[in-house]
This record gives sequence, C-alpha cells and structure tokens, in this order.
Amino acid sequence: MLKVIIKKEIVDTITSPKFLFTFLLCAILIFASVYTGISNYRTQQSEYEGAVALNKKSLESQPNYAMLAGYGTKINRKPQILSMISTGIEEAMGQAATVNISYDPTLVDSKFSSNPMSAVYGALDLTFIVKIVLSLFALLFTYDAIAGEKERGTLKLMLANSLPRHTLILGKAIGGYISLVIPLLIPLLLSLVFLMVFPDVSLTGADWLRLSLIFVIFFLYLSLFFTLGLFVSTRTGRSSTSFLILLFLWILFVTIIPKAAVMSAEQIHPIPTIHEITAKKEAFLRQANTEFMQQQLDFWKELEREGKNLSREEMLTKSRTWMEERNQKKTARVDEFNLNIERDFQAKKRQQQRLAVDFSRISPASALTFSTMSLARTGIDEYERFLNSLKTYKPIFSKWVNARIMRGLEAGQLAKVELETMPSFNYTPESLGPSIKRVLPDIGIMTALIVLFFIGAHISFLAYDAR
Amino acid sequence: MDNQEPILKAERLSKKYEDGGLALSDVNLTVKRGEVYSLLGANGAGKTTIIHLFLGLIPPTEGTCYIQGIDVFRNPLGAKKFISFVSENVMLYGNFTARQNLEFFARLGGWKNATKDACYRVLRRVSLHESAFERKLRNFSKGMRQKLGIAIAIMKDTPAILLDEPTSGLDPTAAQEFLDILQELKKEGKAVLMSTHDIFRAKDVGDRFGIMKEGRLIMEKSKEDLRHEDLGRIYDFYMKLEARSVSSALDLSRS
Repeated sequence: MLKVIIKKEIVDTITSPKFLFTFLLCAILIFASVYTGISNYRTQQSEYEGAVALNKKSLESQPNYAMLAGYGTKINRKPQILSMISTGIEEAMGQAATVNISYDPTLVDSKFSSNPMSAVYGALDLTFIVKIVLSLFALLFTYDAIAGEKERGTLKLMLANSLPRHTLILGKAIGGYISLVIPLLIPLLLSLVFLMVFPDVSLTGADWLRLSLIFVIFFLYLSLFFTLGLFVSTRTGRSSTSFLILLFLWILFVTIIPKAAVMSAEQIHPIPTIHEITAKKEAFLRQANTEFMQQQLDFWKELEREGKNLSREEMLTKSRTWMEERNQKKTARVDEFNLNIERDFQAKKRQQQRLAVDFSRISPASALTFSTMSLARTGIDEYERFLNSLKTYKPIFSKWVNARIMRGLEAGQLAKVELETMPSFNYTPESLGPSIKRVLPDIGIMTALIVLFFIGAHISFLAYDAR
Repeated sequence: MDNQEPILKAERLSKKYEDGGLALSDVNLTVKRGEVYSLLGANGAGKTTIIHLFLGLIPPTEGTCYIQGIDVFRNPLGAKKFISFVSENVMLYGNFTARQNLEFFARLGGWKNATKDACYRVLRRVSLHESAFERKLRNFSKGMRQKLGIAIAIMKDTPAILLDEPTSGLDPTAAQEFLDILQELKKEGKAVLMSTHDIFRAKDVGDRFGIMKEGRLIMEKSKEDLRHEDLGRIYDFYMKLEARSVSSALDLSRS
C-alpha cells in the first residue's frame, strides 16, 4: 500500500505543470547562482592577487622606515572559496585594511561601498535561492497535500479502501518529498560537476566536506517547510485556507522574525556606535601626543642644561635612547587604551550578537543563514577573527618599524627598507571542527522542528475529517 | 454467508455532532445481495451521513453498521475490503489518464496486478469511449468521470457498493447509462446502497426505498409495495410533514 501511494504521489506530481515549472525555474536559478558565484570568486581571487602584488610594489617603493611607518602595509583578505555558494557578509564587509603605527586597522573597500546597487538587492547566491525561492516551492508542493485530496473527493475514495491513515500520510510525505527533491537535486549535482570544470576553483577535502554539510542544511531547511506545509494541510479543510496560513507563516519565519530578533537585541543590549569608539580613541591619541611633545620639550631643556658636560656623541645617544623608550611607551599606552576600549566594545557587541542570533534562530531562515555562513566561512565570526588577527599584527608591525627607525637614527641616516625582515601577517581561517560545532544548534533546531511538524501532521491526519 | 443474510446492515445508528446537531437518529436498515436500496430525502436529511458511517469516515454516537457481517467501527480495515464507493463528484487525478486513475484505485483496492488489459476491459464495460482511456482526466466531462468512478467500484469487485448521489448533475443520457450499469451490477449479486434525490430513476433501478427526514428513516417500501402506489406522491407527502409529525409518521410506518 505504501509503495502504491508513494508511486502515485510521485507520478501525479512529476506529470503536473507545477513540477515542470519548478524544475525549470530551479535549474535556471541554481545554474545562474553557481555560475555567478564562480565568476565572482574568480574575480575576487584575481583582485586579491593584484592587490597583494600592488602592496608589495608599494612597500618596495617606500624610501625609508619612517615613510613605511606612516604609510603602513595593506593587508588583503583572501576570498573564501565557498563564498560562491553562501556570500554571507563578504560583500558588505571590507576586503583590505591598512596596518600602520597610528591607527587601528579597519577593513575597507567593500563591494557595497564601491557598488551601492549591489547592497540594494543583495547577492543572488545559492543560500538566498534556497531560503526564499525553494522554501516557497516546498510549500507549493504540500499546501494541498491533504486538503486538496479532500476537495477532489479522492481522500474519501482512498479511505474507502483498507488503507490505514498512517500509511496514507507517510506515503504522501515520502512521495511528495521525493518529487520536491528531484527538481532540486539534479541541478545541484550538475552544478557540482560544473564547479569541477574550472581549474582555478579547486576545493580541498575539507571544503568538500563543508559543501556537503551546506547541502545537508539546505535539505533540512526544505524538509522543514515541506513538513510545515503537510501539517497545515492536515489542519485545514480547504487548500486555499492552507495556502494563506502557510504564506503568513513563511513571511513570519523568513522576514519578520530575523529582523525583529536583531531589533530586540539592540534594545536589550545597546552598544556604543563606532563613531563614539573612534572619537574616544582619537581623543586619547591626541592627549598622548600632546603629553609626548611636552615631555620631549622638557627633555630637550634638561639635556641642554646637562649638555655642557657631555660630548656631542653622548648627547645624541642619550636623546636617541630617550626617544626610543618614550615612543615605545607612548605607543604601548595608546595600544593598551585602544585594546581595552576595543575589548569592552567587542564584549558588548558579542553579547548583542549572541542574543540576536539566539532570538532569530526560532526562524529556520536565520538558522539556515547562520549555519551556511559559518560553514562557508563568510560569516560574522570569520570577519571578526580576521579583524582580531589584524589588531594582533599591528603592535608587531609597529614594534618592528619603530625599532628600524631608531636604528637608522642611531646610524645617523634614514635606512633603506629591508622587506625580508618585516614580520609577515599570517591568518588561518577557522578549521572545520569549530565551524561544525557552531552549526550544530541550527541543525538540531531544524531537525526538531521537522520531527515536530511531521508528528503534528500524522496525529492531525488520524483525526482528519475526510468528508 | 447465507444468501439472505444482509451484506450491509445499520443497527440503531445515531449520529450527533459536537455542536449538538442531530444528523441521524436510530436508523436501522439492511441491504441484501442483488438488491438496490435507494435512500431518498431532502438535503441534510442524513442520507450522506449513513454512507459516511458505512465508510467509517465518522464514528457513530450510538449503534453500529456491518459490512459482510464485519463491524465497521471495530474492524474498519477488514470491513472496507468488501465495499466500493462512488461519490457525487468524482474529480479524481487530473494529471492521470483514465487508465492510470483506475489502476491506482485498483491497487489500493487490493489488485496487485491491475494490468492494462484488465483496466481496459472495465473501462469498456462502463462504455467509456476507447479514445478516452489514455487521455488525461483534466478535460473529462462529469459523465465521463462518473463512469470512471463506477469503473473503480467494478474493478474492486466487492459484494457491496455505496453510491452517494451518483446521478446528480448528469445529463439524462449519462444518468440512464449509469443506471444501466447499476442494473448489471445488481444482476451480478451486488448489494447497492444509493443515496439520491432522483426519485424517478431510483424507482427504475431500486428494489427497496427509504425516505429520510431530519435524520430519521421515516418510511421504507419495497418494489412490490409500490406496485399500486406512486413513489413520487409518497415522497411529497412525507416531505410536507411538519417536524413534529415525523415521529408519528415513523411510528405509523413501523406499525
């Protein structure tokens, strides 16, 4: 009996115009998004390589360490290969930062800043297509699963046979799900083949694992909407009512809850604006510079008084030592202040973000977004990891360049920059383990909701009025 | 089972809805092998409720019904093996052909090898045009769909058939063709319980008639009883009765 129902469900769906429309649209959207993703990644990759080469040339052209200290070195963020599937916040966040001795590094040159139109519509990546378009298809496949059978009179006709209701609902669920998966799976698999055609898009073993997990999450997300559709269909007598309820729930889950979660978190845990933070940092830097200049004046006056008993060489050595020590002290003081203020800001921001993420996780759309971003390493966490590593690199760079300046001053000349001795910036993106750990709650929530909706559909159907 | 044993039997069947509305009250009826029982009555009289109770779609408040001696509410799946059903509006699956629809319901009915030839034979029997066998149902007329509905019942080949307003909305030719098929099924020994508004066609095909009003079976007549009486006049008489007179009419009919 179960096989008969499953077969009927599949044949009935795949011979319908609805299926043809879904299949074609899925294929077009999936191919288009994967192709666009690959093109974007290749462009980003070549831009990254170009920017790195340009930075090297620019560093080489610096005449001395003092110029290098002011100009700094530009660090470019390597594009993530899986951004072609889940763009995340890649386009919104900057891709490059300048590290110099004065300011805290911030990422600039985002795609949105160079092309504001792309910010208006966002990226048409695979995650977006699954989140918005395919979830609607999942509802389209199930909103009339039971109510539609009742309207056609076929439910009564089926139940006039020795067919247990639990077999019927299970058969409809399995058959319907297979019919939904076909138009999604075929283009997805073909797009993977398409991915392998490009020699410059090479995925490592871990990347494939991440990609597989992203696909698992896609299917979980669609299963969730599928079972929700099935559940609502067993709670209504008319398919039009079922469709309206599902549309309302879809809007609630996909648009309202995620936005409401962010807004609520902002109200509960407010954080200072970036301008306030920058203003505080700049005020402290100004104060430190003023103090430094005052100390410098005092020192010169003192030295002038003492200088009568010192040779020229001794005076020069004393002043260099003083300058080096005080400069290092000032930089360390400023860095410490900035670090504290940054630490405090980051802690508050993290608290707000955690709250927003936890709230919005009620929505499967948010769970999908956060989990795919984490796996593609295009999310907020990855961005912050990169920014933190830049901030860690800044004092290393400052110490090195200051030491070189002082050595030059000691030698009585502005020394030529030796780039081989410059400490290199090393960044390792998050490994697979922590990424998986981060997505487990999302997977858990989605699975729990699927089970809940299916059990709900099952129980409702056992008592469903088939008349 | 004895030939005279009823295939369908309703025993003190009552149904009260949650809102307190009485749909059916103390109905007793039997349908024997080779007999067509026509349930007559206005809309809301309880005809379809009886059919739904026999199908096990709703539980009774009191009483029970039996199909081939099996209690529908104690063993619904066992009882349904012996019953086929044709509804008022046979919509079926528009994306399937007539043969595919028939094949699907045949398999549900227990036919594991519902072959194309077997399906075609039944479709020919209900006089569906050959060119429609492999056509999708989307553009079928109501008459054609109704023929397919009876084909599904024939294919299941059960001793009892339930028909809920089967000729409603059919043109006279299609309705007549439908009743001809019913006559054949009767000859084959099927027990048929049919709810209908169509007194004249019911008279042609029926062996026994029950008139229902406000959930009660207020009159039962056999074909022999009607030899010297006009069913239409009896029906009109009972339909015009006031609600309070229904009980007295019922007592009268029982006596």
